[in-house]
Amino acid sequence: MPETVFAPWNDPAEKPLIQFRNVTKRFGSFTAIDDLSIDIFEKEFFALLGPSGCGKTTMMRMLAGFETPTSGTIMLDGQDISPIPPNKRSVNMMFQSYALFPHLTVYDNIAFGLKRDKLPKDQIDARVKEMLRLVQIEKFGQRKPEQISGGQRQRVALARSLAKAPKLLLLDEPLSALDKKLRQDTQFELMDIQEKTGTTFVVVTHDQEEAMTVASRVAVMDHGRLKQVDTPDRIYEAPNSTYVADFIGDVNIIAGHATTQGETVSIAWADGQPPIIGTPSKPMDDGKVSFAIRPEKVAISAEKPTDRNNMVQGKVLDIAYLGNLSTYHVQLPSGIVIKAQTANSRRRASRPFTWEDEVWLSWTDTAGIVLES
Amino acid sequence: MDRHRRHRVGKLMNLRRFSLIAVPYVWLLGLFLVPFLIVFKISLSDIALSIPPYTPTLELSEGWAGFRDFLSQLDFENFEFLATDDLYWKSYLSSVQIALISTLICLAIGFPIAYGMANAPREWQPTLMLLVILPFWTSFLIRVYSLIGILSQEGMLNQFLMWIGLINAPLTILNTNIAVYIGIVYTYVPFMILPIYATLTKLDGSLLEAAEDLGCSRTEAFWRITVPLSKAGIIAGCFLVFIPALGEFVIPSLLGGSETLMIGKVLYEEFFANRDWPVAGAVAVILLLILIIPIVLYQRNEQKMMDADT
Repeated sequence: MPETVFAPWNDPAEKPLIQFRNVTKRFGSFTAIDDLSIDIFEKEFFALLGPSGCGKTTMMRMLAGFETPTSGTIMLDGQDISPIPPNKRSVNMMFQSYALFPHLTVYDNIAFGLKRDKLPKDQIDARVKEMLRLVQIEKFGQRKPEQISGGQRQRVALARSLAKAPKLLLLDEPLSALDKKLRQDTQFELMDIQEKTGTTFVVVTHDQEEAMTVASRVAVMDHGRLKQVDTPDRIYEAPNSTYVADFIGDVNIIAGHATTQGETVSIAWADGQPPIIGTPSKPMDDGKVSFAIRPEKVAISAEKPTDRNNMVQGKVLDIAYLGNLSTYHVQLPSGIVIKAQTANSRRRASRPFTWEDEVWLSWTDTAGIVLES
Repeated sequence: MDRHRRHRVGKLMNLRRFSLIAVPYVWLLGLFLVPFLIVFKISLSDIALSIPPYTPTLELSEGWAGFRDFLSQLDFENFEFLATDDLYWKSYLSSVQIALISTLICLAIGFPIAYGMANAPREWQPTLMLLVILPFWTSFLIRVYSLIGILSQEGMLNQFLMWIGLINAPLTILNTNIAVYIGIVYTYVPFMILPIYATLTKLDGSLLEAAEDLGCSRTEAFWRITVPLSKAGIIAGCFLVFIPALGEFVIPSLLGGSETLMIGKVLYEEFFANRDWPVAGAVAVILLLILIIPIVLYQRNEQKMMDADT
């Protein structure tokens, strides 16, 4: 029997844990959040992704209680949380700077929130030790924050924010201060911990790779609006706008004019090139469109392929060798540059193409996305 | 040959290093230790009607015998005298009390000012800082004299209080301990504000948000985070007020009355009114010994602050 997929957002009977209803937040004349509505469900690992200044941090700070919406309501567990001050919310936050108290030991940092709840001493002690074990820093309990490494501080911050077992944990750029290798390891640990504790996580990040790795759903934001809210694979393979397609990963975007031909559309795009045949995800009108295609879905070959509808010829302009992959920048006679990516699956294979080589690029009818522009 | 040269270079390096370290030591020796030894020597001498007004004086021309004779004439008589006359220990005690209370008042006034400055908009902070140090651009003596004008019976303070109808008859403030407190607090409160302000501006605002997030009210976050993290500044400010206030002479002699007992004033009177240099010297030596304790504590606090910064 197959395991049921975790997708409460597709179940109309499921009640969301967090609801943003037409939330707007203005700072003076600047609109940080613009009439935004969204549902986030229990046990989700939800990522808010966007460039700096897109409003993602403001959304998080409104959930924590450090900002109040200018209009609209935010519901947590069916309750409007606007009048509740931060210290009375069952929401905890892991700060980007970690915000560890420098005058307290690691142990006392983690115990800080529990002590405010006036729990009995032995209960606090048991909980702190459990948290230290959870993030694997049992040995450092008696150290001060300045005496441990950046990675360990990140763990203390996580343990401290989880100690009170909040309904919702907010993580503000949780891994941005770590170096790449450590960041990748920690991503998986973060997912493990989220699963173990069953806490709902909302993470703010500008790192798309991080968002794609950890999140069950990703919300792409721009200028205070949600561009798309979907699972990582849908965001990547079926972006709903050129903004999302461009923001996530690498993409070729070609502007053209579409004419519907039954199931497919034919896109006229450059003088002297045959039209691109694409498959739109929903029926669309004729007119101006953008055709987006990921470099890894563009095949590169020396001979003219025979089995594809879409093919163009060009010259290799640049090669980016990344070890596992090579990206070729191919310039067409019209001057347009298209990126194609191949996996270097064989070791020590001589490079098939070099600069100035004439090559063929080709892709299938369903490889790209047709976007109304 | 080569080894010989290396040896010489090494020696030269040592010499250079030594001379570098020697600079602060020579400074301390010449400007602190030597004057202290002179005062200490005077405190062991006897009063005399001569110039200088004490005996014995060292006659180098008489050689070794003269030096032995000189040493034999020194004694601790003056220190014994200080112990027998209760004026002195009362003055010491009263000085400590006045300095301590002034320090606490300075803290009570200085901390809120520093806190307000640190939380003021960024562009206002340099101006506020300037306002705090502005009084130092005027001579200290002039400021104390103008306090006389403000605090006296016909002074501006009394006139103002009578004008708003709070009092009917002028209060006697000048020439009492209250005037001394006002003078000391007024003069030294910037020394309290500046170090506290320095620590508060370094305080990371997200720490307070984290404390609130973990269940503290605003007030609780202030006591649990802001105060402990500005402790070093508070301690530094307290010492910077307490140490000079303890030996303060100008303020008690100009603003204080006959009942104001402060050791700085006693010291002045012994030197200039009584011309009893040996007793004054003894008073100064004891004052220094009393001050050494808070000064050493202050230095240790500074050291800790520097360690915490690195």
